[in-house]
Order: sequence, then C-alpha cells, then structure tokens
Amino acid sequence: MPLIAPLRRACLPSPSIPQRQCRHATVLRRPKRPYTFTQLVTLSDGSTYTHRTTSPAPVYTSTKDTRNTLLWNPSSQKLLTAEVDEAGKLRAFRDKFGRGWDARRMEEKDAEEGKEEEEEPGEPGEPGKEPEEREDNLMDLISGFGLEAEGKGEARGVREGKGKSGKRKGGER
Amino acid sequence: MASQRVPSVFQSLPLRKRDFHNFPCLCSCRKASTFNGMTELSEDVDPSSSMQIPGPSEEHLASFDPIARSKRRKRPLPSSRYKFRPPKYYRGPLHPHQPPPPTAPESREFIPGPFSLPRLQQTYHSTFASDLLTLMYTHHPPGTLPGPSGPRLRSWDGSSPYHKNRPLRPPRGGPALPLLRRPITFRNIPRLEKIHVHSFVKEAGSDSAHLHVAGMIMQAITNVRATVFRAKHTIANFNLRKGSPCSVGVELRGEDMYNFLAKVTEVVMPRIKDYQGISGKSGDSNGDIGWGFGPDTVGTFPEVEINYDAYPSKMIPAVHIVVCTTATNDKDARLLLSSMGVPFYGKHMN
Repeated sequence: MPLIAPLRRACLPSPSIPQRQCRHATVLRRPKRPYTFTQLVTLSDGSTYTHRTTSPAPVYTSTKDTRNTLLWNPSSQKLLTAEVDEAGKLRAFRDKFGRGWDARRMEEKDAEEGKEEEEEPGEPGEPGKEPEEREDNLMDLISGFGLEAEGKGEARGVREGKGKSGKRKGGER
Repeated sequence: MASQRVPSVFQSLPLRKRDFHNFPCLCSCRKASTFNGMTELSEDVDPSSSMQIPGPSEEHLASFDPIARSKRRKRPLPSSRYKFRPPKYYRGPLHPHQPPPPTAPESREFIPGPFSLPRLQQTYHSTFASDLLTLMYTHHPPGTLPGPSGPRLRSWDGSSPYHKNRPLRPPRGGPALPLLRRPITFRNIPRLEKIHVHSFVKEAGSDSAHLHVAGMIMQAITNVRATVFRAKHTIANFNLRKGSPCSVGVELRGEDMYNFLAKVTEVVMPRIKDYQGISGKSGDSNGDIGWGFGPDTVGTFPEVEINYDAYPSKMIPAVHIVVCTTATNDKDARLLLSSMGVPFYGKHMN
C-alpha cells in the first residue's frame, strides 16, 4: 500500500484542468439543530411570556428589563428619581455620615423647583440668600464634629453634592 | 426471432388485442416506423422492444392476490420494504434515485417547525403592522396623482462637447442606485426578514478553541447551529490566510428571528450599563440595520449566563447583529425596529 500511494498521486490529473466531465455525488447532510426548551420569561413588572430557548431553565426571572429601565420609560417619575448605587458607595457614605445629606439635597431640589416656578413673579433676593441658608443648615448637620472639621466637612459636602447632582443629570440624559 | 413471436404475444393478450382493433392506423404507423427499420438494421440494433414483451401469464394472474398474501403474513413488513428512503447523496439530475425537495418531511435536509408563534410576531401582526401603515401611508386624494419623482440618474451638464451621447451619470457617492421606496400599502408594510448574527474571531488562526467557543455561544443565544466562514483573501494585517476559518455566523429566519430580537430588546439591552441605544447612523440605507455587542454583553444573554462557567470567559466573542427588513430605506426600518423596542440615539441618517 505505501508503494502504491505515491504512484497514484503522480497519476492524478491537476485539479484545475479536469480531463473529462465528471459528476461527483453530493452528500445531503441532515441539518444540526440544538435542542430547544420552552421557557417562561417573567419580566420585572410581573408580565410573562414563553419562548423557545436553548437554556434548560423552565423559568427566567429578569431583574432588569425594559419595564424598569429609564431608556424605555423616559416619562416614568419613579425611575427618574431612582438612585443608582450598584457599587454600594452611597450606602457606605450613609452608614458613615448619616442621611442628613440626602435630606439637604431633596430640599435643594424642592427649592430649585420652587424657584423655577416663582421665576416669573421675579425675586432677585433669592439667589443671594441661598448660600447663607445652606451654610446654616450644614452647620446644623455637622454640629457634632469639631470646629476644625466644620469648614472642611462643609466644603467637601457642598462640593460632593454639587458634583453628584451634576453627574446624575448627565447620566440620565 | 422476435418478429416471429409477435403474433403470439398479441393473441395471448386480450386487452392489447382490443387496442389493436380500435386504433388500426396507429398500429400500422408504428409498424411502418419500427418494424421496417429493424429488419434493415437487424445486425446492429437490438431488435427487442418493450412492445414485444409478453404480459403476465394466466397462472400468474390467477395467483396474484396481494390482500390474501398480506393476511397470510405473520409479522408486519419491515419499514424498509414500504417506506421511501431518501438517498444520502445527490448524484445529479439524471440519476434515477432523486432526493425529495428540502421542504418534504422525508427529505434529509428537512427542518421541522415552526413550533410556536412568538410573542413579538403576534404583536407585530396585531398591533405594529397597522400602526406602521398609519405612520408611513401617504394619502393622495382621489383624482390627484403623486408628483413626479426626480430622475434617478443625473444628466451631464453639456459643458463639454464630449458629453453628447454619454450614458447618464451615476448617483452621487458611488455607482449603486438606492432602492426605490414604493408607496406603503397594506400589502407591503415593512416587516422583519432575517437577522444575521456573526462574529469575527481574531484568534482563530492561532487557536481554534476561540472559534469553537464562539460557535457554541452563537448556537446558545440564537437556537441555530453556527456556520464557520473561511477567509476569502490573505490579509497579513489580520493574520488571515486564504481558506483559513476566521468567523462564525448564523442566519435567523421566522420563529428563531422573532425570539432572538425579543430577547435582545427585552432582556439583554436594558442590562447594558449606561446604554444609549443604537446609533441613528447605523444602516446600509436599504433597510438593513446593524449593531454590535461586546463580550461582556454577550455574557449577559440568559442562555450564556445560566451556564457561564461552561465557557472560558476570555474566549467569549463579540457579535455583530444585522437586522434585515423588507423596508427599502433606513427610516422605515428604524421605525419598525423602534416599534419593536430597539432604542436609537443621535442623528438619524437617511
């Protein structure tokens, strides 16, 4: 057999120029299809539907889908105000410094909204007043700390609050 | 010898005899054309003919009783005796044993289905189709005709004498003519045609494992076995040699297509962090819109996620998804896709 093989190869015609017409048989392969299961998909708002999938789990419960994502629900106030805290940084901050900063931010927001509403009547004194008010409130909040820490904490808190709100707005848009 | 047997054949067959009497001219014609020729060419031509084969004998006819024979049979016939078995090979159009068409259930290439009516398909037919028709319909009051559309090919400005008798100028940006947009009626509401999912595997040349993992993941997320594509040309920059396997792809139609798109829009896209949607510039301006998912997003498909440990996490591929619609421009295709829940952002082109 090893003697014959090189001989046969030498006798073969070049594949580019067929010597005579030939029709080889074509294999008809059975198509390969993965097994599919019927799966019940439960969306986050409780709606369900079934689909065929290769996943063997009978029920798929999604925690995040189109029903609770802001991009698909741009008018939802609930999702708009929802706080993104996936890394747990906000919670850690609250554990350490309390929730007073949240309340401050909410008040600010309310004040801004009120200001926007009241812009038409016109109140020039308001923007000038606000920093003082804020300072007072911050002083109340951090009254438990030392005098040196006051200024620092205040400055940091204000900066952080501002940065966070700006970031959040940018992210939402 | 054959010519001698002919009369005996006709005598033994009463049915043929009757035919003979009814159509004498036909028989005489045949006789003139065949029998005379055979006497001349008796040495070269085989004189046997199907007309000369004797029919079944009387004893054979009497013994032929298939019902009694099947009743006498103790066990049923094996299926190979009565079932049609399609050939494993297609041996050309002249071969007597032809394979049935792939749509026939006995064919080897038959794919059964659909097994379900996907939710997205139902919603399309019940809700989206009529809404899309309303949005895309342009009404012309009876008696008025739509305005004349502009010429598709530009003419030469005639600034040069050589412009005479030239063929018209091709459109700006290339020689390809864009598809015409037919007025949308209830007959041609844009719908999904097919979805191509494909993944170019960069490392396939050095390590085929990447290709295998990509194929497995592609099959898991689309319910269809992936096809391996080979490089058409040698490209040194991409480490491609001609004929070497370089990518895997899947073409989805029908049930699988609707299941896949619903899964992508309902479950996969919302889980992408800081997702804006698909660029409004995406599309080939003929109604096909494509986008891509990175490896981390492919890992969040429910089918991959449930079995995430089975895949080497560094080999999870990125995929490109191209949705082909029957719309002839991207604007309509985008409207169709956004009705199905695909978000778009940015400036919408075309």
